[in-house]
Amino acid sequence: MSEKKKQKYDMNSPQAKALIDEIVHGTFMKEGSMAAFPTCFPGVTVPIPADESRITALDISDTGMIYGGTSGRASHIFVAIFHGITGLVFDRGRIEGAEHCAAVCCGKKRFAACVNGPGGGRVVAGAFQSMPFDLIQEWGFDRPPLQDLGTVDGERIVHAVADSSRSAVVGTTANHLFTVDFEDGKIQVVGEVPGNGRLAVGSQGGIFGRDEGRHLWRYAAASRKIQRRVVELPDGAWDKVPLTWARDRQSGLLYTADANGTLFSMDEARGFSQPLGRTLLAPVGPMAVTHDGRVFGFCGPELAKMFCYHPGRHEVTNLGVAVSVLERRRYGYVFGDAVTGRDGQIIFGEDDNLGHLWLYFPRIERSA
Amino acid sequence: MPDMLRRREFLMGAGATAAWLASPAKADSASRPAENAGRSAYRQTWYPFSGHPDADTCWSLSVGPDGRIYAAACAESVPGGVVKVVRYNEQKDALDYLFAVDEMVDDPGDSGRATQCKIHYSFAPSVSDGLLYMATHLSGPPIDQPAYSPWLSWHDEKRCFRGSALLAFDTRTDEVRWWDTLIPKEGCRCLLHDEDRGLLYALSYPRDHFIIYDTKKRTRRDLGRIGSINSQALFLDRKHRVWTTDDYGHLVRYDPQSDRLERSPFVLPHESEYQTGWHSVFYDVAPSPDGECVYAVTWIAHPRLMRIWPHEGAWPRVEDLGPATQQRDLTIPISTFIDHCGGLTFAGDGQLYYVASRWRDPVHNSMPAARHEREGVVWRLDPATLQRAEVAVLQHPEQPAQYVSRGAVDHNGDLFFGNVGTRPVGVFKLSPPAERRKPDAHLPLRMWG
Repeated sequence: MSEKKKQKYDMNSPQAKALIDEIVHGTFMKEGSMAAFPTCFPGVTVPIPADESRITALDISDTGMIYGGTSGRASHIFVAIFHGITGLVFDRGRIEGAEHCAAVCCGKKRFAACVNGPGGGRVVAGAFQSMPFDLIQEWGFDRPPLQDLGTVDGERIVHAVADSSRSAVVGTTANHLFTVDFEDGKIQVVGEVPGNGRLAVGSQGGIFGRDEGRHLWRYAAASRKIQRRVVELPDGAWDKVPLTWARDRQSGLLYTADANGTLFSMDEARGFSQPLGRTLLAPVGPMAVTHDGRVFGFCGPELAKMFCYHPGRHEVTNLGVAVSVLERRRYGYVFGDAVTGRDGQIIFGEDDNLGHLWLYFPRIERSA
Repeated sequence: MPDMLRRREFLMGAGATAAWLASPAKADSASRPAENAGRSAYRQTWYPFSGHPDADTCWSLSVGPDGRIYAAACAESVPGGVVKVVRYNEQKDALDYLFAVDEMVDDPGDSGRATQCKIHYSFAPSVSDGLLYMATHLSGPPIDQPAYSPWLSWHDEKRCFRGSALLAFDTRTDEVRWWDTLIPKEGCRCLLHDEDRGLLYALSYPRDHFIIYDTKKRTRRDLGRIGSINSQALFLDRKHRVWTTDDYGHLVRYDPQSDRLERSPFVLPHESEYQTGWHSVFYDVAPSPDGECVYAVTWIAHPRLMRIWPHEGAWPRVEDLGPATQQRDLTIPISTFIDHCGGLTFAGDGQLYYVASRWRDPVHNSMPAARHEREGVVWRLDPATLQRAEVAVLQHPEQPAQYVSRGAVDHNGDLFFGNVGTRPVGVFKLSPPAERRKPDAHLPLRMWG
C-alpha cells in the first residue's frame, strides 16, 4: 500500500469522457499539422533501410530542395522535393564506411555532407538535383555520383554549416575548425577550437560555436579569422548539453537553449537576450524558425514533445507529441535536425529507425 | 456501430460487475446443435474470473512447462486495476488464483502511477527448469484517473508506468523466483523465449522497440524501433531467428548472426480490395508440431490466415489461407473487437484450432434472431488438406463471446481459450472427443505468448 491513499476515480463521473478524450488525444499535436514522409518515392521506390535511416542532418537549397543525411548502420545522403509536381525523397547514395552524418550543407550549385566512420570524419559532395518531370505521370532518375573530398584531420566531424554566401562549408572536428570550398572541394584546417555542439551563422555572417568555459567563438569567413571567447553565454546551465541553434532567416536572429530548456535569442551585434521562456522538457533538440518568427522545436529525451516560442507574445507553449495522420500514420519520438521549408513549413528529420521527414504546417494565426 | 463497441469501450461495462459476481465459478454446456459433423462432441465449460471481480480482459493464456493452463485475469479499465495470474486446476475443475502481480513486484495498484494491469501475450515457458516467464503490459489508469496515456505521462515521474515487470514463476514450487524490470516506462506487448540461448525477446509499447533480455545475466538490449503498431506476436525458428511484422505488413526478423533487424520486401496476405497491408501485423502465431512452419493470423479487419515456412528461401514462403471471417459492409471501419480471429493452437489430433468471430449482418450473414448478435466460432483446420470445419460456438452464459485472445492445449488434450469482452470475462475449456485427444498434447511447447 502506498503511503498516501488516493481516491479511486469515479468512472461514472460526468467529466470522465471529456477527460479521457483529453488524455488520449490532447497529448498529440495541439496545433498545426504533421505529415510524415518516408525516405522514398512512395509506391515507386523502397525507403532507406530502417536501421540506416536515422535522419541527423538537413539543409535547404535556394531552390527549396531539402538535402539530408542519415545515421545508423550506414549513412545515406538524400534529397527531398515537395514543391511542384514532385513529392519524393531520393536516396543519393550510401556512403561506404560511414555510419553517421553530422551535417549537410547546401552551396550555390552543389551540396556537401560531413560524415563519420571508424576512420574519422570526411566530406563528400554532390551536384544539386535537377527538377524531375511530372511525378504523377512519368519520370526517370539517375543517381549522380558523390565525390569524396577526403578527410579533415582524422577526427570525427561534430557539425558544419554553409557560410552566409554559400561558398564554403565551415565545420568543426573535436579540436579544429575547418572549411571546405564548394567550388574546388578543397578542405582546409583553419585553426583550433573545441568541437562542442552545433554551429550557427549569425545575423552579420559570423559563424559561432561553443568555446571553452561560458563563451562562444566566432569565425569570420571573409577574413578566415577565428576570434576566441568573443561572446559570453548568459546565465544558465550550459555545461550539460551541446549547443543547438535555430536561425531566423529574415532577421538573422539565432535561438538557443540551455540544459534546462531556457530559451535565449542572440543577435550578432547585440548579443544574447534575457531568458525568453522555458520549454516543458529538456534538453531542447532541433528547432527552426518559420517566416513570421515563431520558433518550433522538440524538447525532451526518448519521447520528445514539440514546443513553440512565440516572439510576439513572449511565450513558450507545449504542442505535444508528434503524430502524423495524413497519409502515413506514425508517432514521432526522436528528431535529429530541422530546417525551414520554402513556404515556412518546418521540416524535421526523424532520428529513429525508419526515419521519416516530418513536415509541420504551423497553425495560421488569427488576425487580431 | 453501437457506441459500446467502439475501441475498448466494451471494457466500460462497470455496471455489469455486480450482476456477474453472483454467477457460478464455472458453467457447463454442450455446443449448439451441430451444423457440421462432430461439433456437438466438444464439451464446453466456462470459467469466469470470479476470484478477481475487477478483471475485464484475458489477454494471455498459455500452457506452462508443467502442461497446465495459465491465464491472466487483467483489469485495464478499472482505475488502479491490477492483473492476477490464474491456473486451471483439473482436480477441482476450477481456476486457482496464484498471485496479484502488483504485490509480487512491489508496484501497488494505488501508487498513482499507471498500473501493472495486464499480461499481454507474454507468457513464455522454460522447459528445463519449469519456469514460466511472464511480462506485464500497460494501459490501466492510475487509481485517480479515468485513463492513461503513455505519451502524455512519459516524463511524469508520478504518473508514468514504472515499466514492464518480468517475473520468473516456478511452476514446480508455485513461487516467483525473481523479477526484474524488463522495459522501463513501457509495456511488453508480446514475449518469446529462446531457451537454448537463454534469451527473452519482447516488443515494447508504445515505442515498438525490439528488446532482448538475457535471463542469465539479467541484462537488456534495445535494438530500436520497428514502427508504430505493435505486432501482437513473435515466433522463433530453428535457426534461432525471431520473427515479427512491421506496420505495413512486412515480415521483420532478428537474426542473431547478423545482429540486425531485417525487413522482408514482401507484403503479407491481405484483402486487396480495400487494404494495402498497413496494420497487417501478426495477431497470433501457432507453431506446427513438426517445427517446419507456423500458422498466423493478422490484426486487422478481415483477419487473414496464413502459413509461413521460415526455413525456405531467403525470405519465407507464405501461403495465403484466406480470410478468417465473413464478408461485411466495407464502408464501415469495423472494430477489430468484432471482426477478429485468435486462439490459434494445435491439439492432440494434429489439427489447428482457432476462434474466428461471426456476427449478424443484414446483407452478408442473417443469423437467426435467437442467437447472439455475435459469436465466437471454433474452427478445426486440417494442415494436410487445409480444409476447415466448424466444431463449436463458444457459449458465454451472459453475452456474445466472439473475441478470443489466445488458445492452448493442456497435457490432457483439452483446449482452452481466453475471452475478452464485457465483464465477466474468463476462460473457456473445450474438451474434444476421445479420438481427438492424446496425453501430453501440449508438446512441443509453444515458446511465445
